[in-house]
Amino acid sequence: MKAWTALRAVPSWAYPALLGVLLLALPFLGAGYGLTRQVELTLIMALIVSGLNLSLGYAGQLAIGQVAMYAAGAYTAAILSKAGTTDLLVHLVAAGLAALVVGILTGIPGLRLGSWSLAMTSFFLVLLVPDVVTILEEHTGGAHGLSGIPAATLFGYQLAPEDFYFCVVAVAILWFAAFRNIVASRHGIAFQVLKQSPVLASSVGMSIFRTKLAGYAIGAIPAGLAGALFANLDLFVSLDAFTFHVATGALAASILGGSVSVYGALIGAGVVEYGTSQSTSFQEYSLVFFGLFLLIGGVLMSGGLAGAARKLVARLDRAAGVTRGDAAEAPTRLGRIAGGTLEVTGVTKAFGGNQALAGAALRAEPGRVTALIGPNGSGKTTLLNLVCGYYRRDAGTITLDGKEIGTAATHRIARLGVARTFQTPLIPPGITVRDVVASGRYAADPASFGGAILRSRRFRRVQRRDRDRAAEALALVGLTHLADTEAVTLPLGMRRLLEVARALVAEPKVLLLDEVASGLDEAEVETLAALIRRIRDAGCTVILVEHNFGLVLSLADEIVVLARGSVLASGTPAEIEADPRVRDEYLGVNDEDDAVPAGKEEGV
Amino acid sequence: MTLIYAGLSLGAVYALVAIGYNIVFVASRSFNFAQAQLMMIGAFVAYAGHVTFGLPAVAVIVLAMVVVMVIAAIEERIAVRPVADHQTQLITTLGFGTVLTGLAQLIWGTQPLEVPFIGSKEAITLAGGRVYTFEIGLIVMAVVLVVGIHLYTRRRLNGLAVVAMSQDAEAAVLRGVNVRMLAFSAFAVTGLLAGLMGFFIGPKTFAVATLGSALALKGFVALAIGGFGSFYGGLAGGFTVGLVEEHAARYLGSEFSNLSVFAILLLVLMIRPTGLFGKVQERMV
Repeated sequence: MKAWTALRAVPSWAYPALLGVLLLALPFLGAGYGLTRQVELTLIMALIVSGLNLSLGYAGQLAIGQVAMYAAGAYTAAILSKAGTTDLLVHLVAAGLAALVVGILTGIPGLRLGSWSLAMTSFFLVLLVPDVVTILEEHTGGAHGLSGIPAATLFGYQLAPEDFYFCVVAVAILWFAAFRNIVASRHGIAFQVLKQSPVLASSVGMSIFRTKLAGYAIGAIPAGLAGALFANLDLFVSLDAFTFHVATGALAASILGGSVSVYGALIGAGVVEYGTSQSTSFQEYSLVFFGLFLLIGGVLMSGGLAGAARKLVARLDRAAGVTRGDAAEAPTRLGRIAGGTLEVTGVTKAFGGNQALAGAALRAEPGRVTALIGPNGSGKTTLLNLVCGYYRRDAGTITLDGKEIGTAATHRIARLGVARTFQTPLIPPGITVRDVVASGRYAADPASFGGAILRSRRFRRVQRRDRDRAAEALALVGLTHLADTEAVTLPLGMRRLLEVARALVAEPKVLLLDEVASGLDEAEVETLAALIRRIRDAGCTVILVEHNFGLVLSLADEIVVLARGSVLASGTPAEIEADPRVRDEYLGVNDEDDAVPAGKEEGV
Repeated sequence: MTLIYAGLSLGAVYALVAIGYNIVFVASRSFNFAQAQLMMIGAFVAYAGHVTFGLPAVAVIVLAMVVVMVIAAIEERIAVRPVADHQTQLITTLGFGTVLTGLAQLIWGTQPLEVPFIGSKEAITLAGGRVYTFEIGLIVMAVVLVVGIHLYTRRRLNGLAVVAMSQDAEAAVLRGVNVRMLAFSAFAVTGLLAGLMGFFIGPKTFAVATLGSALALKGFVALAIGGFGSFYGGLAGGFTVGLVEEHAARYLGSEFSNLSVFAILLLVLMIRPTGLFGKVQERMV
């Protein structure tokens, strides 16, 4: 176990870096042509597969069109070369761009309809490759292929096949470093959140469509790079390299290696390439094997080989007592939050014939807790969902600090400073407590993909702030000791606190708490009440939807009572408590009517 | 007119794929990527029945239906049931379809095999166009199936149960609907139909292992045009795709037929993502 502890003390990026150095040194260690070519082909395949990992594993979109982008890259490079531009750098840039364009153009329509549409439109792309190549026969050589490509140069220097090997390894190293940097940034967490729960993603300010498109389009780039390398490797491009068979092989490699991983692509590509090159019987049976990889990979080991390796590492860590991260407690002080005034007037919403809201109104001010109460089906959650933009209202206005928020998309409203918790806590599986909280900051400071890849100074500043804020919020809700636990394993009370922490890190103007105390025991309710008071005192506008009348009376500065979609009464807790109509309607003193409209309360 | 017949009969093939997608979709909200491969196997079994074993047509139909039903049932058990979310089901059903393609290649090779059909081999003249009997058979079958399924889901208790399950599986369970059994039956029924369809499409498309991927895509376009879950939409979508494909191949050149279908798919997805017959559903969170 000592040895393991020592191994784990080395930073995790050191191992892939070591592999990179080893690959670069391979020719000097006496490796023959057969081996270096195998490495080249594997790395090219790994580039394609890592693009798949980004779109399938991280952005959660099954897209099989990587091969079409690979083809776009290869033909771009080949045609450039034939036209006299042989510089490899120019090829790589042009091929990457060509692939990116294909990715964006086909990703936009495919992503609109969600999962299968993208799978199918991208699949269709592969079918179109031969047609397009035939139509452009003049430039592409059609079915005969494009031969006689001049050898690549780099800054005017002619690259021999031995030199080209280093170029392939270098491109692969650079891409994998970039990929790792994207995944290890907030964008990586964002992809995970989006994949597990689009509802949650938009509530923390992510544009679902744009984030998915970003994953899919960025995933196109390595395929384009791979194409440029491939064209310059054999100096011959033909349709045989861009078939369904190759597409399926890449997908199988991704699933086998583990889609939600960076280096799994290398393992998967290695296995598939090795198998293809070794035995002719593998080639004959390859479709059956690929199919089985997909089938078994999908059913049994959702994380692929990389996932299995991660589990092993975690187990060894526990056995050796290795702990990660900062154990230092952050101060539990809550900084000042600039609240905003939320005003809802005359809001109406009907679901078919069911009038959920009829002219509801509400005014919530900074530094005050405004509670929204009412019987089941009175429209409380509907009102929250309207504020967040999950539903479109039929009539009425909602303003934040006097500015109309219209019927903007959910993620835009979140970016205006509206954060919320959910009736049933939405905690994506597979993410640690710390990352769940950090995901709440997605909209707070923008950080670009470019910054993440290059680890720019701005990116590092934002990342540091994300970490600090997340640590503060965790300390505030008292979950610091659980920061590295997988969040879904927490009991309900802690998950509710976690949701509050996630909403808080965004430093929202308005915090919406949807039945935040339901299902909690008395001690937990007490903790929560104290927390809400502190948030209020920090200046935040808090809107509380709650059934626990006692909690509402003790917490709220202002109570709005909804009944059948409109406001029955509003006022201070004392006034509401004394209001006879509220007692009739809400506390059910002599009220047996209105059946609960189905489906409206089961919630978010 | 000949072109229209050719387009309609090709469209009927796509509509049949779309019907298969739809049955599974309506019953379990999941998408069976291997649907077209099931039909491909059906076509091969029909070939084997006709040519290899020399069976009479009725026996061939029964054989194709039974074999494909068993395969579909196996698929449900190993590729669909153990997997909870629909995204992963895409991968596992794709994997199952790939295995079927690979096996078909191993057993029957990569060359297209001609599947005979009942009736005359000669084209007949109808309303000023040439058409084969199997083409008429295809069109009639697609229309009859769609009307039949529509009536079944509206009139019969079982059909209603399937619809209820697709709306809310949990509620259906609470009402005493055996959701698992229904989902399983839906797969078995699609298998049964895919076998029957294989018998009908074989003469038109030939039995070839690569049939699966082309059919899967065109069938999907038919579905996208018509709207997911709509049987009439799938039929109309299938005919549209078939007609466009035949006309593009005739007037623009064969390399443009796939491209024009793709262009239509993109157009539909951009302008009316729910399809022509699909319903817009307000998102419930």
